[in-house]
Amino acid sequence: MAVYKRTYTRYSGPLTSERGRFAILPRYALESVLSSRFYTVAFMLALVPHLIALALIYFRSHIDALSGLGIDARALQILSIDGGFFLNLFIVETFISFFMVALLGPGLIAPDLANNAMPLYLSRPFSRVEYVIGKLSVLLAVTSLITWVPGLLLFGIQTALTGLSWSWDNLRVLVAILLGSWLWLLTISLIALALSAWVKWRPVAAAALFGIFFVSAGFGTVSNVLLLTRWGTLLNLSSAMRMVWRWLFLSETQYRIATPPFGTMPAWTGLVTLCAVCGLALLLLAWKIRPVQVVR
Amino acid sequence: MQSDQLIIFENVSKFYGEVLGVNRVTLAIAPGVTSLVGPNGAGKTTLMNLMTGLLRPTKGTIRVLDIPPSDPERFFRNIGYCSQFDAFPRGLSGYHMVHSMLMLHGLSSGEAEDRTWKVLERVGMTDAAHRRVAGYSKGMRQRIRLALALAHDPRVLVLDEPLNGLDPMARAEVIDLFRKFADSGMHVLISSHIMHEVDIVSDSVIMLSGGYVVAEGEIQGVRHEMEEHPIQILVRCDRPAVIASNVFQQDSVVEVKIHNDGRGLLVSTRNPDRFYDLLNRIVLDNHIAVESVSPADENVHAVYQYLVGSNGTGSL
Repeated sequence: MAVYKRTYTRYSGPLTSERGRFAILPRYALESVLSSRFYTVAFMLALVPHLIALALIYFRSHIDALSGLGIDARALQILSIDGGFFLNLFIVETFISFFMVALLGPGLIAPDLANNAMPLYLSRPFSRVEYVIGKLSVLLAVTSLITWVPGLLLFGIQTALTGLSWSWDNLRVLVAILLGSWLWLLTISLIALALSAWVKWRPVAAAALFGIFFVSAGFGTVSNVLLLTRWGTLLNLSSAMRMVWRWLFLSETQYRIATPPFGTMPAWTGLVTLCAVCGLALLLLAWKIRPVQVVR
Repeated sequence: MQSDQLIIFENVSKFYGEVLGVNRVTLAIAPGVTSLVGPNGAGKTTLMNLMTGLLRPTKGTIRVLDIPPSDPERFFRNIGYCSQFDAFPRGLSGYHMVHSMLMLHGLSSGEAEDRTWKVLERVGMTDAAHRRVAGYSKGMRQRIRLALALAHDPRVLVLDEPLNGLDPMARAEVIDLFRKFADSGMHVLISSHIMHEVDIVSDSVIMLSGGYVVAEGEIQGVRHEMEEHPIQILVRCDRPAVIASNVFQQDSVVEVKIHNDGRGLLVSTRNPDRFYDLLNRIVLDNHIAVESVSPADENVHAVYQYLVGSNGTGSL
């Protein structure tokens, strides 16, 4: 039989690294985000708090120059550029990054599942983990640009304006910007992806994301009041994040003032809550992201 | 044949909870065009998903060209899969689809671009390459699915209903393409419920029913093993009545039907070789003009009907 001749030859050229292959997925997603006017406007608005912070940092170091121009900038003297300053900036960014994720996240996985595209990806040397990392990287790339990247730039600018001693004294702020941002971005991104995998209709997925944050926060507050407890606070994910951020950003003295022993939860409970939420989101993704959807 | 040229299933079962997908499947599939035949729910897609590593068997082992699915880098490089679903991420053009899927195989952007154009040309989609897949017709989508399966030059092509949605001309082209792949030493596995196409294109068939393999091999071989069903032979000639009156001297001939137009007859025999010898003698002795002699039920549809019957055969 002719079929046994084996005249066929396969591609034997060089291959790209397996580790970087997840980056192929965000390629087109990021392209469409960057080409969208709506996202560009949202992105610019998201940077406004950082621009205000930049102005404050600059003028705080140039009060004399402002006075020379006839501007009364004495109020700036009470402003301290430290962990507290960055903490407040990042609390604002919590909400902005959340809105950005709510805009982008629900549309990432749902269309692939709705169009039965999983076999297309997973019948290639590409795993479920790489698929999730690829989709996650879209959200992390966009939200990083409005959180820790400008945060680090502000830290660098403050160091340049005031000298290395400030940087040394506030080294924990640098760590806090990185760790705190990544923890928050991972949490909201994983929740958004899990919702995108489970809720195929984009507006419903976005509404569910808002529901998780705002309804659970309300439920937590009601629980605290009715059950005379503090544990309900943990249902509010942004509160949980704030607990961790306070611990990360603030010096020991500042932290003690900000978190009186009664009425607030310890930081570790916030960290455990966020890790548990991430774990749950990963479980939901693992359950749903399969090469073949079996309909029983 | 060596195991690195075969697709081997060893006692493979797949259950979805308590629902049976396929059960105790043992196969050794050689290069060439092999068709999976069976009605909806027979286990064709499950078998294909197992073969392509998309599903792991509940029991048993699968090796494709001696590569287990647990070695995905090598395994998937050798397999090209075309699912039966319209499986396209939203918003991409045909070109971008093929290009990005090639990059998932580890090809550089430049190499992927070259190959994308080549494969798009092969399936006749060059002109529509930059249009969005969402705007394609059913036939165009089918061609892009084929391009996706072919683009990385796999050694095994697994194609779930690959002829659906194609117009007759495109079907002929695609079938010709399958034959070329098979002739170059590739495995081409197709599932189809259109029996005459399976007959035209296949070197061998695997017949499934209710999750079990009911027959496999070359269709004529399978047919000849079914002794309880006499083989039907169609003879077109000028004097069928003469042949009919003579063939009954053989015990193995069980039935003869003369055509209404008086220009042929259908003979059912349990021993076709003896019948052909006898037919030669009758034709020579009686100076009968024979137009054609052909087996009437050596096709997939007839064999499947004999094996499984018409109950529960769904779309077959």
